[in-house]
Amino acid sequence: MQRAGVGRALVCLVAAALVAAGCGTSGAGGGGRVRLTVATFGEFGYEPLFEEYERAHPEVDVVGRVTDFDTHHRGLITALATGRGAADVVAVEEQYMPRLRRSARRFADLAAFGADRLRERWPRWKWEQGVADGGRVVFALGTDMGSLAMCYRRDLFERAGLPTDRDRVAALWPTWEAYAEVADRFAERVADARFADSAGTVYTAVLNQAEENYFAKADDSFIGDTNPNVRRAFGIAGAIAAKGRTAKVTTFTPEWNVAINRGAFATVTCPAWMLAQIREAGGAAGAGRWDVTAVPGGGGNWGGSYLAVPAQGAHQREAYRLAEWLTAPEQQEELFVRSGILPSEPEVYRDPVVLGHTDPYFGGAPVGALFAASSDRVRPNHRGIRDADVRPVFGRALGRVEDGAQDVAQAWEQAVREAHDLIG
Amino acid sequence: MRRAPGALAGPALLLVLVASLFPLYWSVVVASHDGASTSTGALPLLPGGELVDHVRAVFEAVDFRAALANSAIVAVTVTASNVLLSTLAGFAFAHLRFRGRRALLGLVVGSVMVPAQLGVVPLFELMGWLGWYGDLAAVVAPGLVSAFGVFWMRQACREAVPRELVDAARVDGCSSVRIWWHVVLPAVRPQAVVLAMLTFLAAWNDFFWPLVVLDPVESPTVQVALSHLAGGYYTDYPLVLTGAVLGTAPVVVLFALPARRLIAGLRRVPVDR
Amino acid sequence: MRTQVSFARRGREAAPYLFIAPFFVLFATFGLYPLLRTAWLSLHRWDLLAGPVEFTGLANYARLFADPFFYNALANTASIFLVGAVPQLVAALGIAALLDRPLRGRTAWQAVVLLPNVVPVVAVALVFTQLFMRDHGLVARILSALGAGPLDWQAHAWSAHLGVAIMVLWRWTGYHALLYLAAMQSVPRELHEAAALDGASRARSFRSVTLPGIRPTLLFTAVVSTIGGVQLFTEPRLFGGTSTGGNDRQFQTLVMYLHERGFEQLDAGYAATISWVLFALCALVALGNTALVRRLVGRW
Repeated sequence: MQRAGVGRALVCLVAAALVAAGCGTSGAGGGGRVRLTVATFGEFGYEPLFEEYERAHPEVDVVGRVTDFDTHHRGLITALATGRGAADVVAVEEQYMPRLRRSARRFADLAAFGADRLRERWPRWKWEQGVADGGRVVFALGTDMGSLAMCYRRDLFERAGLPTDRDRVAALWPTWEAYAEVADRFAERVADARFADSAGTVYTAVLNQAEENYFAKADDSFIGDTNPNVRRAFGIAGAIAAKGRTAKVTTFTPEWNVAINRGAFATVTCPAWMLAQIREAGGAAGAGRWDVTAVPGGGGNWGGSYLAVPAQGAHQREAYRLAEWLTAPEQQEELFVRSGILPSEPEVYRDPVVLGHTDPYFGGAPVGALFAASSDRVRPNHRGIRDADVRPVFGRALGRVEDGAQDVAQAWEQAVREAHDLIG
Repeated sequence: MRRAPGALAGPALLLVLVASLFPLYWSVVVASHDGASTSTGALPLLPGGELVDHVRAVFEAVDFRAALANSAIVAVTVTASNVLLSTLAGFAFAHLRFRGRRALLGLVVGSVMVPAQLGVVPLFELMGWLGWYGDLAAVVAPGLVSAFGVFWMRQACREAVPRELVDAARVDGCSSVRIWWHVVLPAVRPQAVVLAMLTFLAAWNDFFWPLVVLDPVESPTVQVALSHLAGGYYTDYPLVLTGAVLGTAPVVVLFALPARRLIAGLRRVPVDR
Repeated sequence: MRTQVSFARRGREAAPYLFIAPFFVLFATFGLYPLLRTAWLSLHRWDLLAGPVEFTGLANYARLFADPFFYNALANTASIFLVGAVPQLVAALGIAALLDRPLRGRTAWQAVVLLPNVVPVVAVALVFTQLFMRDHGLVARILSALGAGPLDWQAHAWSAHLGVAIMVLWRWTGYHALLYLAAMQSVPRELHEAAALDGASRARSFRSVTLPGIRPTLLFTAVVSTIGGVQLFTEPRLFGGTSTGGNDRQFQTLVMYLHERGFEQLDAGYAATISWVLFALCALVALGNTALVRRLVGRW
């Protein structure tokens, strides 16, 4: 008797849950308001801006979706591939841009909504990553950029008998070769900390200063094996790794966080967006220990994102308006001052408010001026369509050197072989 | 009568207890300290005092209430359906004669082999056509019955229900449905409870598929909400592990309290034949 | 009268099909369809975003069987499975035997044993990466207290395989223990009593009564865990943080390789090919095990 009751209840429950599950539908919000979803990863700092936008546009509801880097991009690609499930506005990180450009038709052509008139907002290299078909189609608008500086530990530099003042530190390393020499000097005096966090960050910084790396600008053919820029970057980073000058911690891993907190390395090439992470990992006790100065070899760029409007969305025009607003100079400035997200628009980083911005955690370093200066020197860096496939091959090769599994020559040879196989 | 436990049983059980609980305990330790103390690598061994603050932060950061409710709906539906449908099919394969039984059973065993997460893209397309993207139905429907469950309950029916009993019931004029209900279900309840527990866990903990097909803001499950918490450039370990503890606690309570009474009640049914 | 009988008979004949229908309908929709679609994809050069580029027949399969990364992933998958499987089987049997005796609060114990399976994967990954941290992890400290140097778990194939196997072991041992326990409880008690009367030791009784009694379950879990092993993804993916599994792919499993090709390089055709080879591997395992079951337990 009782048994039958439980069983029947289960059957009903299944039926009810199925019905309930099948009924929930998403779509337009109540009262004829347009509901726009914005999918980002990591910290874009958009939440307050959404509220501001809703106040200015009462007919629009803006909802943010934030996931981690991998989940975000995998989800985006799945949604684009199947034509369903993408948000109205999506963020795309720079390394995915060449691949998505190949399928630019999956996105709305923003030129149709007037985006071609925004060209002057961005430096040319940033704008051009977001266009396809020789510039006729605009599929993404630039948000932040990752112009490079060098973060260093004043206390460790002092122990190594090196200067700690940021201008004198910058003068120590006009070039990456000089940086490697400073690493040797550092290692003679300090035994319990390494000079750099990993060979990978050094390599990325050197490489991104060159105009061409793995693919020829002219015809997008693979030149990674012969291009002297790649060899040089690999040689510099590889030598630092082989001499044990790195703490062998991969960026963003728990080990990296602990290494920052414990002062296990003295320098790290840092784009603007990394400052927040160093601050978080370093905790209150780390305040004033870190400082920021110029990176060897002038400026450079590491990372930065775009906003795009998938063509599958129901409200593409409204989505464009929101994306246009979010990437406008006023909002970019606000994001930098509040969250340290570096704008990619020259107009903004020449703004006195931005230029005068300092960061107390990093010893009051004039981060606004530093990053703006670095931005000025960013050279457009040609990324081939398969850049993102080849890049990790060389990164892993340096990892093998750090692991002690191979010497620089062996690692290089294997990387070139793998890259060739991959390109086919 | 079974004999008393051997001398090694005590220490062995203790070891099992520690090994099972330690990582969960560790999660609580990390969750109850502030972020700085975990990134120093200092490895505190005792819980700290920040847990309540972190719980509040989790509820502020994501809609954890909705996540818990969604996970409960998914897990309960999938569990109930799996047990019922698996027992039904398992009984048919164990005790009913019909043409093609062996071949069909082979297909069931074969489909245990179908690597579920490998067809993600086609499955996602399918959900799009059905209009289920972002809908709990997209997570529930593929889980309603599993080859594992069918095979498991078939073994259970063979082991726990003697063929003579089925034949005798049939001679008494019972229909297959009545035999299933009155003879089979009571006899296989211990195995059904195990299947229920395992299914519930798998559904509760399912990670990749919900992450792909659900909207992390509109219809999160606990696992999706957790990945949302871990979404920043800087992973806030105490916050994420607080979420993990919050997501685990209901299941632990469920198994520790009512399941205990449920299983105790079930055990009163004589399993001996 | 006659019509009633034939109606009843027809009902009886239809009943088994109705009983198994829900499974097959759901399986066809959510299992078979994606599989067939994947097979179609594997016969093409197919960009995940751009769609089909060209029909290439079996070219993807030819490429796969000449692909050293594929064999590397295959070897890693097998190695991680073997490192974890034997200890897991022994531990699960041991735990099941411990719980299959008069014990206060056995249900609570069952819950405890199952607990590792409840902890969200994200938390498992975070906890284990912390425990296994090279310089400051708990395991590193214990090792250095024992006089061993710090171990960079991910740098060497053997230690990476061991680390992943430990995570798998921790998550799944209790699960298998419960399956064994359920089977042990359906072994007739009289057999144990008879063995005890004959003066058999506990170990003897376990070997000659319990183990044969749960043999079908043992084989079943062997199949299930082999398939789980072939599909291993979550633990090694979260352990290393990338789909390549280390700087020299030293712990990249087959499914990780599939993800790298499919979702990172957007080569959907090739990823589909890997899927099908995986499926074939699983089917081989299944056939092998079916033969074993037939030999050892008799007919189906």
